[in-house]
Amino acid sequence: MRRILSSITDGKGFDLIMVGMTMLFLFALAGVPLVYNVVMSFQQVDMFNLNTFSRPFAGFENYVAIVSQPEFWLVIRNTAIFVFGSIAGQFIFGFALAIFFMLSFPFASTIRGLFLVSWVMPGLVVGALWGWILAGDFGVLNAILRGLGIIDGTMFWKSDPNLSIWAVTIANIWLGLAFNMMLLSVGLAGIPRDLYEAAELDGANGWQRFTTITLPMMRSTIGAVLALGLIYTLQQFDLFPAITEGGPANSSNVAQYWAWQWSFQLFDFAKGATVSMMMLIFVLVASIVYVRSTRHEVRG
Amino acid sequence: MQFAKRGLLAGLALGALVAAVPAQAQDEVTITVWSIDGANQVGPSDTFSKEFDEMDNGINVEYRILQFDEIVNETLRAFATGNAPDIVSLDNPDFALFSSRGAFLDITDMAAESDVINPEVYFEGPLNSVSWDGRLYGVGKYTDTIGVFYNKDMFAEAGIENPPQTWAEFEEYARKLAKPDQGLYGATLSARGNEEGTFQFLPVIQMSGGGYENVNTEGAREWLSMVKGMIDDGVLSQDVLSLGQWDSTGTFNSGNAAMAISGPWEIDRMVEDADFDWGVTLLPTFGEGDERSSALGGFNLGIMSTTEHPEEAFKVLEYFVSQDDRLFPEFGYLPTRSDVELPLSGIEKKDAALAVFQEQLQYAQPRGPHPEWQKISKAIYDAEQAALTGQMTPDEALSQAQKTIDTILN
Repeated sequence: MRRILSSITDGKGFDLIMVGMTMLFLFALAGVPLVYNVVMSFQQVDMFNLNTFSRPFAGFENYVAIVSQPEFWLVIRNTAIFVFGSIAGQFIFGFALAIFFMLSFPFASTIRGLFLVSWVMPGLVVGALWGWILAGDFGVLNAILRGLGIIDGTMFWKSDPNLSIWAVTIANIWLGLAFNMMLLSVGLAGIPRDLYEAAELDGANGWQRFTTITLPMMRSTIGAVLALGLIYTLQQFDLFPAITEGGPANSSNVAQYWAWQWSFQLFDFAKGATVSMMMLIFVLVASIVYVRSTRHEVRG
Repeated sequence: MQFAKRGLLAGLALGALVAAVPAQAQDEVTITVWSIDGANQVGPSDTFSKEFDEMDNGINVEYRILQFDEIVNETLRAFATGNAPDIVSLDNPDFALFSSRGAFLDITDMAAESDVINPEVYFEGPLNSVSWDGRLYGVGKYTDTIGVFYNKDMFAEAGIENPPQTWAEFEEYARKLAKPDQGLYGATLSARGNEEGTFQFLPVIQMSGGGYENVNTEGAREWLSMVKGMIDDGVLSQDVLSLGQWDSTGTFNSGNAAMAISGPWEIDRMVEDADFDWGVTLLPTFGEGDERSSALGGFNLGIMSTTEHPEEAFKVLEYFVSQDDRLFPEFGYLPTRSDVELPLSGIEKKDAALAVFQEQLQYAQPRGPHPEWQKISKAIYDAEQAALTGQMTPDEALSQAQKTIDTILN
């Protein structure tokens, strides 16, 4: 009896309780909704059987129906542009800014802190803001571009099917830039100065120092930033209703917004669940790649 | 100790008193009403609910404001979990989603007995939207429709005497009036990718002999090509694809477009904002004397079938209907019935516009009614957008929409 007790307070039992509690929370808050979503994607769901479990079984009908939608491939293409465009933009500009702010000049850290303003703003506010900036006939961006002589006419960022997905991507890059910069700054600050000094003595130029010291030393930070970028980008929803509503003609519609449209505009909850299941598979593949690519690292 | 005991007793007594109050008021019935009125400005449902609640007639009214985007979802959820309100007010194309499934109470017989509600006086469009299978499930609350606003000063300057009566004239005048180099568009409308797009495009399909069951008409194809051409030439802003009607008409009010397709909800703002002479005309037709059509907007009221107090709820409904003559003077809404006189406001442009919209209302046709209207509507606005962005030809876009609609209808 005492052995069991002591095991619970300080031993294997304690570990098991800790792990068990976490698992319980994970199961209740992530597992159950996930399973529920999977079940829904194989059923016919409408609002009048929403609160019961005994709904007609649909097999793969929902999946077939989603894939055969005329806009399916357009949505996939847009999701790919949005995800990779956002991650690339956020990462490249974030890295550049992080390196820039490593230079010591007056107010460097204050200005860097101010960048976080974009990150703390709610997505809907950012969306409304960019909605005005990107407006066609009276937008600020067009006025600036015209003033600089880059364009003549009017760029209809929100209404031109060739531009609309880029309009949302630009807004999302701005939104995620500060977060990327902050994480990368932390990584940069962790690299010992003397490595650079030694390399400089050996005659390495700036580019060589960047590729042979900064990048390898930042490997795990970069991996984390990219993985988080993927997650945040796939979660990004607020910008879409605020800027383009997925339009025109679905030219800026992405999977996460499409899933919402199915469920809450067309009231076809099963198809909404189906789209989110497809997204889940994509995220799963991406996270397997991420885990495998960082596996060989020894972590303390 | 003694003190504490006394306190306890006092507490008990108070508790009993509190418990006794609802017991005394047991005869009182509470009716819950949900609507979007009061979300942005004072509206009829919130006002009338409050008035009825204050009357001493044994019926209380509890009113809840919901946002336009939420009310269908919220009602669905409440109905699914058995907490539905007694009376709910929905946009007319959403009404059939509920009435077709018996979620609204059949009030045909109650209306036949009623001295207040008489289905015969209602306009055909609003009446159709509350009917299903020949039975009555609600009443129209208020209605609206669309026409063409035009800038009389610009028309006079360009030497155009009358507003456009056909779509050919609409295009001709718009092209004449547009000055792309000065940021002045010939016209504006809303082809947005949501219900607003369908709201403005479906009348075109209807007046060319089609309907929501049959969208690929020659007229609809012609109209899409016409509008596409106007967008390509800068006569219409490309932003008609993303602007809602309210924002689109805003460009008309600021003098950046010579014509605007929109509805009577714009009148009050236009009286304030537009510093030019303007007028309204009926939505153009394809040929002179051809069939007319227009959109039917507005909200309906219905009693949910899960109500525990159908008779009392009906009394509340009767009270709302009995106040219909206040809709226009107090709230600026048009009643859905022909037997309500609209008093003149004394503002010349407003009264003139109103007369046109009342005439237009005779041609207004409801969207649906169909329980899966949202999907049909998406097929229609998707087709419009695909054609106007040039992703598909009008014929491809409309036949794709037709295919989608056929699967929904069968």
